[in-house]
Amino acid sequence: MRATFRNTVTELAGQDDKVVVVLGDISVYMFKDYWERHPDRFYNMGICENTLISVGAGLGSQGYRTFVHTICPFLTDRSIEQIKLDMCYNNFPGNIVTCGATFDYAWDGATHHAYTDLAVLRMLPGMEVIQCGSKKEVDALLRSQYNNDHQTYFRLSDHPHTIDTNLEFGKGTVLKNEGSPVTIMTAGPILTNVMEAVRDLPVNLVYFHTLKPIDKDLIRQFRDTEILVVHDAYGLYEAISEVPALRMHYHGLPDAFCGWYGTVHDIRKRIGLDPAGIRAAAMALIQDRSQAA
Amino acid sequence: MDAICEKIRSEILNISHKSGHGHIPTSFSIVEMLVAVYQTMNHDPKRPNMPDRDLFVLSKGHASLGFYCSLAAHGYFNFEDVYAFGAFDSNFGCHPDRTKVPGAEASTGSLGHGIGLAVGMALGARIGNSGKKRQVYTLIGDGESNEGSVWEAIMVATNLKLDNFTVLYDNNNSQGRCLPIPNPAERFAAFGCQAIEVDGHDLAAVKRALTVSTDRPRVVVCNTVKGYGCKTLSDNVYEWHRRAPKPDELNMLLGELHAGNV
Repeated sequence: MRATFRNTVTELAGQDDKVVVVLGDISVYMFKDYWERHPDRFYNMGICENTLISVGAGLGSQGYRTFVHTICPFLTDRSIEQIKLDMCYNNFPGNIVTCGATFDYAWDGATHHAYTDLAVLRMLPGMEVIQCGSKKEVDALLRSQYNNDHQTYFRLSDHPHTIDTNLEFGKGTVLKNEGSPVTIMTAGPILTNVMEAVRDLPVNLVYFHTLKPIDKDLIRQFRDTEILVVHDAYGLYEAISEVPALRMHYHGLPDAFCGWYGTVHDIRKRIGLDPAGIRAAAMALIQDRSQAA
Repeated sequence: MDAICEKIRSEILNISHKSGHGHIPTSFSIVEMLVAVYQTMNHDPKRPNMPDRDLFVLSKGHASLGFYCSLAAHGYFNFEDVYAFGAFDSNFGCHPDRTKVPGAEASTGSLGHGIGLAVGMALGARIGNSGKKRQVYTLIGDGESNEGSVWEAIMVATNLKLDNFTVLYDNNNSQGRCLPIPNPAERFAAFGCQAIEVDGHDLAAVKRALTVSTDRPRVVVCNTVKGYGCKTLSDNVYEWHRRAPKPDELNMLLGELHAGNV
């Protein structure tokens, strides 16, 4: 996804002289071509996440379309007040693009895990929140959202899915509609595991890349079903619950630091977010529903 | 004391009294700094969004009353407009909102934010511009400079060699009680800034410092006194940190101000 981000932003910068990239000493050499083409619109500013956001907001105040990019927890957790005040409260537009989604850096331990970014940023007035799941989504959503008057968050991952989805901002995708009384709702890269888990199960499957604004109309279509929310980051469950009176079931992060190192796949397996764990949760709900009936 | 500065201070007292709000001592300490900026920068109070204007960001947003009164003194609006200071639905809150106050370039309040925004504004003025650049000024406090983000912003500004960026540092010793910053001019110079130290209540000296040519970020360390202009305030800064004068106190403070009893 990062290479897609680089390619798309480099192309946009060639067309729009208001595009500015601000890096926190990450992805620097990946942007070498951009850097050489637009040296006055490329800043590897330093390991100073608070200031990356503030400076990005200041650039936004002057009409620039800024992409501030570094590792997810450092930029979003550490700089939440700068995002809240310098970008959102001041209403200076700009784009935040992070790498290192949830357990992408599993081996580095919980200091490098991203649990809360989507949930917290979703609550900031004016903020658009996108949990990119595929490379196609990265490209399409960057193009459609980078130069509006909002503050937009793009969360990239090293483990994208390859499933075709609706690429329109704010729209979800029905990937399976079997008229089932059980619906799985999920978002972002973990769709790979979810699809593998439920492909042959009698459930509906609904997917989102945009967590704010969440596609409420689509959710309402399944309001009479049991909804199992499968997620690997806080934010989706809370977003879906904006639609009142749903029968929601939680299958996602535990209330724990998952600092077991290894890979994203190892951690997902331990907390039941591997295909087998997701399938078991879906089947349990199907079974409960059958018994209730 | 220059007449405009005395007028601003008297209105700060009046409005604080009427509204029941206001950080008076910290607003008093920056009056000459604000007047120096607005008498130096390229701006038009009748066209606050003039495209090529210079920019000023009050980073220590709690000194908003001093800021509003300075804007009023320079023609952005009337002093009477500020009488609703802090009131429900007023445009003039106890911290400035850029969407409500003509002349306010940023909404500030939480300390250590405005300076980073100002660095971004100064950088934006440089991109694609090899000619004359707009100047960007920000005013920070010594207490605010306990925040690490202040020093991050300074490092970035010096690394980028932002010669159109000026920090006015209100050295009013407000953090003497807690986490003081000794020798601030030396510190800013060590970070790579052009550091100039002046008497922050000498309007002419502050204005001269703002026009010294530089090839790097400029920091004007203004040695100031909290509550400058009223001895009662400067002798009792803790008691008056955030307090509005009662009627008899207002008359006493105005008397001290107009008598030049600083």
